[in-house]
Amino acid sequence: MNVQFKKGVLDLCVLALTAWEDRYGYELAVTMSSKFEVAVGSVYPLLNRLTVEGYFSTYLQESSGGPPRKYYKLTPQGHAHLMELIREWRTFSVAVDELIKEGVER
Amino acid sequence: MIREQYLGHLWELLAPVPEKLRREWMYDYEEHFRVAAELGRSEEEAASELGDPRLIAKELLLNYRVDQAGIKSGSITLVSRAVFAAVSLGFFNLIFVLGPFVAILGVLIALWASAVAVALSSLMVMYEGLFGSAVTGVQASFIALALIGLGMLMGAGVHWLTRAFAKLTLQYLKFNTKVIRVKKG
Repeated sequence: MNVQFKKGVLDLCVLALTAWEDRYGYELAVTMSSKFEVAVGSVYPLLNRLTVEGYFSTYLQESSGGPPRKYYKLTPQGHAHLMELIREWRTFSVAVDELIKEGVER
Repeated sequence: MIREQYLGHLWELLAPVPEKLRREWMYDYEEHFRVAAELGRSEEEAASELGDPRLIAKELLLNYRVDQAGIKSGSITLVSRAVFAAVSLGFFNLIFVLGPFVAILGVLIALWASAVAVALSSLMVMYEGLFGSAVTGVQASFIALALIGLGMLMGAGVHWLTRAFAKLTLQYLKFNTKVIRVKKG
């Protein structure tokens, strides 16, 4: 996948994954990596940046029979940002689809 | 063993960062190995999944630098560090980004130097007024005052330019530095 495409939507996707439930880092990293061909290792810096920017808060929770895991929770600010990103994405993808229909699939 | 090596290496690479933050970052990678083990994956798999620790360290350091430069907005030193971190990570083309950046930095330094030179030239005028014959002492002191004023004005102007340049560069960096490393294979 085109790197320039990917750059813009990674934030959107990782925020979207946490919209309904809090997730732990490994889960997010592996899911993102499987969908977008990013290295698992670079998802953690992304999570870190989004936390610093105030879109995620983190907490530790015991897992079944293991040491605690760090969970990422979407903050209200993160939720607002996600909605904004989704709106932008919709406008963008609709515009691209229209142009493809007009130019290629006529 | 692989786990210890990997984490140890990463820990050393993150040396420029305060220890508290470093521990916070490391936690994610320690947890990664732990969860992978719980899911029955080997340490080799977990490590190769994460990718090269040097790349991870660079990404983390870049985030940190951009963040630091953002806190003290308009600081050209911090912005320069962020630019170098970004270039070393290969986010930008060395020639097309670092080149203009260094060139503009050079222009700013030259402007600073000329502001200082104009202000200092007042000393020479005073010297001429006191010991030379071109101007009288009173004329010389007026010229000197005007030169000092001019130097200060130029200084204020260049100061503003420097800050504006730092802010612009930072915005450009933030815009460009999202995680973009592609998985190998």
